[in-house]
Amino acid sequence: MRYLLTRLGQAVGVLLALSFLVFSLLYLAPGDLAKNLIGTRKATPEALAAISQKYHLDEPFFAQYWRWLQGVLHGDFGDSIRSGVPVADVLGQRIPVTISLTVIAFAFAVGIGIPLGFIAAHRIGSLTDRTIVGVALVGVSAPSFALALVFLYLFSVMLDWFPVYGMGDGFWDQMWHLVLPSLAIAVGTAAMIIKVTRTSVAREVGQDYVMFATSRGIGRQRIAGLYMKNAAIPIITSSGLILASLFGSTVLIETTFALPGIGQLLADSITFKDVPVVQAVTMLVAVVIVTAMFLVDLAAAVLNPALRTHSRSQEVIAS
Amino acid sequence: MSVPRIRLVLALAAVTAFGVGACAPSSSSGLDATSSAGSDTVDDVTIALPGSLSTLDVAQEAGSLNYQIATITSEGLLGVNADGELVPALAEAWSQPDATTYVFSIRQDAKFTDGTPVTVDDILFSIDLARDPDRSPSTSIYWPEGLTVEQTGDWEITFTLAEANVAFAWTPTAVGGLWVTSRSFYENAGTYGSSADLILGTGAYEVVEFQPDSHVTFRAVDTWWGGTPDVKEIDVEFIPDENTRLLAQQSGETDISLGISLDQSEHWDSIAGSSVEYVSDRSYVGLTFDASVEPFDDIHVRKAVAHALDRESIVSTVLHGKGEVATGLSSPAQLGSSIGEDKARELLSSLTTFDFDLTAAKAELAQSKVPNGFDLELTYPNSGPQLGQAALTLADNLSELGINLEVTEVPIEEWISKVGTGDYGLYYMWYLPTTGDPGEIPGWLLNPGNPAQYENDEVFSHMASSSTDLNDLTRAESIIAANEIAQADVAYAPAWWGVSATAFTDNLAPQNYTAYFFMTPWAASLTSIG
Repeated sequence: MRYLLTRLGQAVGVLLALSFLVFSLLYLAPGDLAKNLIGTRKATPEALAAISQKYHLDEPFFAQYWRWLQGVLHGDFGDSIRSGVPVADVLGQRIPVTISLTVIAFAFAVGIGIPLGFIAAHRIGSLTDRTIVGVALVGVSAPSFALALVFLYLFSVMLDWFPVYGMGDGFWDQMWHLVLPSLAIAVGTAAMIIKVTRTSVAREVGQDYVMFATSRGIGRQRIAGLYMKNAAIPIITSSGLILASLFGSTVLIETTFALPGIGQLLADSITFKDVPVVQAVTMLVAVVIVTAMFLVDLAAAVLNPALRTHSRSQEVIAS
Repeated sequence: MSVPRIRLVLALAAVTAFGVGACAPSSSSGLDATSSAGSDTVDDVTIALPGSLSTLDVAQEAGSLNYQIATITSEGLLGVNADGELVPALAEAWSQPDATTYVFSIRQDAKFTDGTPVTVDDILFSIDLARDPDRSPSTSIYWPEGLTVEQTGDWEITFTLAEANVAFAWTPTAVGGLWVTSRSFYENAGTYGSSADLILGTGAYEVVEFQPDSHVTFRAVDTWWGGTPDVKEIDVEFIPDENTRLLAQQSGETDISLGISLDQSEHWDSIAGSSVEYVSDRSYVGLTFDASVEPFDDIHVRKAVAHALDRESIVSTVLHGKGEVATGLSSPAQLGSSIGEDKARELLSSLTTFDFDLTAAKAELAQSKVPNGFDLELTYPNSGPQLGQAALTLADNLSELGINLEVTEVPIEEWISKVGTGDYGLYYMWYLPTTGDPGEIPGWLLNPGNPAQYENDEVFSHMASSSTDLNDLTRAESIIAANEIAQADVAYAPAWWGVSATAFTDNLAPQNYTAYFFMTPWAASLTSIG
């Protein structure tokens, strides 16, 4: 319980610091919100003053931040300056897209990365291993948006298997629309998972307890179960963090495939200086990452009793 | 990785991908026409937009794309025809008894797309809405101070201006600052223009679905006073990436693609089953000199830079011959909306320009207070890569004078915020007029408060005359006279008038496709020729 409260306190502190940092950076960033709303047309001082007053841009920096923070504490994230729509509604429309994209991409990455990493670990130095490692190297190096264009040309234009853009209608059509963008993201992520899996499985396979178990004639499946449990800790840890980071890094893919997710929303909102939206998206991504890290820690503790013991002993020392 | 770098890599990837484009399968149009013989009806048309909309309410977000989409479903009191002339819309007639009074006779049979009749009260409400800076932050600036609006008959509305302004007739149009909606619909909407509430207009199509940054769908109605359009449904898809738009048209998923990059025009031109139409977009691109910033307070410096601008080369190489060398602030199509393009060209050809001449540029700089050159920066918006390429050619020419020009790409929002702030002596101006008013661009660049911070009473006087002159020709001459003085003073150096490129599937025929096409109720003019 104490551990949970500590982690919760840390998370709130991180979110508060992050919100202030992002607000400050946006405040200092070049650009003028009032002029953004008017465009290149002639903007009279009266019009600029009216817009500044409406969005409280004429108030001191700290007053603006405090106004935002008070709103958030009361559950009000404000209205998007660009669209005039409540920020909660804006996020509500975008989150499902990004979550779907992230989850499918993650499923692809894990589904490809773990088996290939496992195979490579059992054939270290072989042609198979070198091929998998080589492919992983290319996968890590290839930018997702460049892959996206290649995929689009091959699978959408040449073969006509997948749609070029958009979200589609209905559940299955939407899933179909998300296959290519998810694959484009998953390639690089899968490559990372291959490398982590290969390293951690290979290390466990070389441990004395595996050799001892083998010499005692224990079945291969049972031995594999033993070392996979140990090898799973770094894989789960890294995968959890990868999943969280995927959620916040979809901007290029969403733009390429014209998907209305939070990545594209964040990019547009930053350039427009749409402060309420940028703050909300940043907080959302931070919450996802903080939550993922917490869950990863919990999963690692479940898999490794030594971590739980260590944690308990720390609590005893602290008390 | 910085944004410019990302785009560069993306462009390289695209070149690689499209290098084999010649062997791509020919497209089959996504256009879905009804099969009944002899019928021109089209079930649905898919349109790719080169950007996205966050709201359908143009009074909130007023980019040029917002206007193009708004004209599908909304109208003002007046409209614009293919020649750029004001024509009746919800007002079936209008008159201007004197310089400050406009009288509009409202169409009595007009209906909103949901079938409810349009009342004078709805129009008065919409005018109040458009003038309210809180509810219409982007467009309330169009409405002049001191304007009074009143109902002067059962179906008559009269506007009285505090001072004469000929251009005001453009304000109550759907490309100016008025989109008539229903009072009850607006007041019942939580957030007008959002995906939850949509919008209600009086045009040929109703909005049936809107997903910000994704798409908006329109369905034809039979309530429009102008008739029933041939295309039953229009799906506008927001596809910001130019490579994706190209692939979508290539694969036949889209029927019309707006805002094609001129850099990719060869790829677009080669798509089977589709053709690209190039037409003036009436935009102006040019250099703005701020004489309050050293060393641009020296006219010889301004002339030197103006002489180093190789406009012919920029148009032929950077724009692939798809633009036009600008001699003044208004394009012929814009200035000619009321006097005809031929007369406009004649007037514009008389303006002082500084031809590309590096020898003359060196001579001018030698006479200046910085004969050995200086350093300066020119920023351009990230949405206008052609401006960046043109700036690089200018930088190359200026380097021969000893002037070191640093060219910097910035987000368009940052670029807009810097225009005319006195931070730089040299700015770009990139302006796409929304109305067909000949004075729209000069009205901004030659009146007090202009981005060059240029002050000349004679220029201001000509512009003041132009704003009250009811004679189209003498009005245009006043604008040209003001333009001439400012250009001779090198407050501005026009570079080019822009061209827009739009791809149409061969099965669709846009009627009256001109520089004003997307300002008209253009969707209603699409017909099938398949």
